[in-house]
Amino acid sequence: MRKIFPAEELARDSRFVRQSNEDRMNDPRGARVGGSTGEKLSKLTPNLPNGPDRARALMHGIFVGEIQALEGAGRTCYDFETTTDVPFAMKLDMARQCWDEARHCEISVALAEHMGTEIGEFAENTLLYQAACNPDPVLRLTGVNRALEGLAIDVFNTMKEFGSIAGDPVLEFCEDWMLADEVTHVKMGSDWLRELTLNDKERLTKALEFQKVVDRLFSFNGFRGEDDENPIQLTRRFRELAGFSDEEIDDIAQMSREAAAETVH
Amino acid sequence: MAEVKRPREPFAPWDRRVLPGLFDVEETARRVGNYKWVETKLFETLGGWIATVPELDVKLRLGTHCYHHAWHAELFDKRLPELREMNPERLAIPPNENLVDFMEAMSEPEAPGLTIEKLVGAYRVLLPHKIAAYTYHRNGTSEVTDMPTIRMLDFVLQDEMNDWREGEMLLKSIIETDEEIERATAHQARLEKLMLAAGGIAGKGSIGNAYIDITEEK
Amino acid sequence: MTEIQIEPNSFEMVFFDAEKIANLASEVAQILELGDEQIKLRIDETSSMGRSKVESYEPIILAVDGGAFENTQRPRYLGETRTSETIARLLMRIIDRRSPGFANAPEDDLLDLPLRVAWDTYTAGRLNHLGLSTQKKRRQYQFRNRHGFSDAADEAFTFLWGSPNKLVWADIERISVGCRIALV
Ligand SMILES: [Fe+2]
Ligand SMILES: [Fe+2]
Repeated sequence: MRKIFPAEELARDSRFVRQSNEDRMNDPRGARVGGSTGEKLSKLTPNLPNGPDRARALMHGIFVGEIQALEGAGRTCYDFETTTDVPFAMKLDMARQCWDEARHCEISVALAEHMGTEIGEFAENTLLYQAACNPDPVLRLTGVNRALEGLAIDVFNTMKEFGSIAGDPVLEFCEDWMLADEVTHVKMGSDWLRELTLNDKERLTKALEFQKVVDRLFSFNGFRGEDDENPIQLTRRFRELAGFSDEEIDDIAQMSREAAAETVH
Repeated sequence: MAEVKRPREPFAPWDRRVLPGLFDVEETARRVGNYKWVETKLFETLGGWIATVPELDVKLRLGTHCYHHAWHAELFDKRLPELREMNPERLAIPPNENLVDFMEAMSEPEAPGLTIEKLVGAYRVLLPHKIAAYTYHRNGTSEVTDMPTIRMLDFVLQDEMNDWREGEMLLKSIIETDEEIERATAHQARLEKLMLAAGGIAGKGSIGNAYIDITEEK
Repeated sequence: MTEIQIEPNSFEMVFFDAEKIANLASEVAQILELGDEQIKLRIDETSSMGRSKVESYEPIILAVDGGAFENTQRPRYLGETRTSETIARLLMRIIDRRSPGFANAPEDDLLDLPLRVAWDTYTAGRLNHLGLSTQKKRRQYQFRNRHGFSDAADEAFTFLWGSPNKLVWADIERISVGCRIALV
């Protein structure tokens, strides 16, 4: 088996339909990320007329995102040599993340079914997994465990609130548990980033730059932020638990505002 | 009230554990180091395979089992310093080059159509060999001096048995044609030969020797 | 034969074919026995959202976001089932409103969300009967969101979904409000 497995070759059964990044970016109506569209949106709550349907579409996005998170964590177990490339303990964390993401796949496929979504009903793009292809383990870990898993915190918290407002005990319960795991994954990212770059300022800077690139991608169209029009709300409390500083969270909020402003509505 | 100073045996009548065991500290450390190497290679391979298998249930099981074996590797890693090996990496090695060849051959299949080969390698060849070697170790080592290893092996074996069953059931559900049976058995035979050359996951003597050597009369 | 007008006639942002859409609309109109009526369909191709509404009941003008006709597996391409279902749901609303049993139904803009969803459930159930709607679980999820995640709401959903052509507005209103009272 090769080291570094390309996103285009991620194995899926016949129900899944892949949307290329090119197609996604070339959509003149604005690219979509996880159930959101290029249009000016508002915070995802059940009170919106199309709230339940948007949550339903987002849940499918979460489901395929979890598959990619599982695949990414698995590849990090395999792509790097233990001790020479990465410490043994970091690999153990990645294996633990595999188990967690496998459970998240199980949870989100059950939730999708609960919300009336079928596997493969929506197109899948592999943006998430692509961040997990970075050949530098420190950059990969930062892009995946701080940017993407950080996004997962925001998404799950938004969905947990959605479930709570809608009075949907199944959604609220499941998101609560997934949220706990994602905080753990982001903390892994924060801890390992600190540890692996202890005496290497340059690598730390590069890793944080890569994190910004990934964060920016997922702030697209103002998809995530802490203003009322952001469908997915930035979650300060859980990000702090996971090792984000106030300044880092401020930066992401600002980046989201800029990304939203750049979008032509 | 019972008499508090009444003497009792240190080993209760039902406690039949015996002191002697098959392995000294050095041999135990060598084996545990081999186990750690095997568990590490296995969890890395299962992790790598997740992205390559299209079957959703297999993908999720690989993710779950990947962690089980990582946890086993962690247990063995923690045991090594207790066996006077202060640099656990020094002993986390394969017993011989033949096992390296085996591991490479086992982790070789990558294409999405090769799920049978992937599962056969892990669940029909490697896991049964691990279960055999761990059981031999568990039953042969001193139940008093080496109880910490036994306790670990008991936990590990419980996982191995469950995972083996799950992997075998996945295989049974995937294999549907004569041709697929041929593929599975051919791959199994190829890997078994490599494992035979390696002598098991801890090298020759992984599960002891069951034969009696009889010297011919002259 | 129903006359269908599609506006616009050609598309730049999505790969829709106006003629194909007209054919689908015509098929649906036939199934719903809308006879020789003229139907105008206004599509906002710039929107990938899924909104749809009856803009005018007489003459029939339907207004939809392009997203409501989209293949969710292949964004920007036409999803035939979704297209038929969206058109059918709007036409069924028109048919209902033309019947005396729905004379008291509030205007579309004044319908609150639970009532709209309850009516949609009744509609989707009938369309399912006609082979025009499939997503029962999706409709149930929408219904639960507006009427509670409870056995009472699920019973109400099952009743609305499985009631072919025999309910009037007062029934829908009673069922929807009943669920909500049970929630408090
Ligand atoms: Fe996850
Ligand atoms: Fe995660």
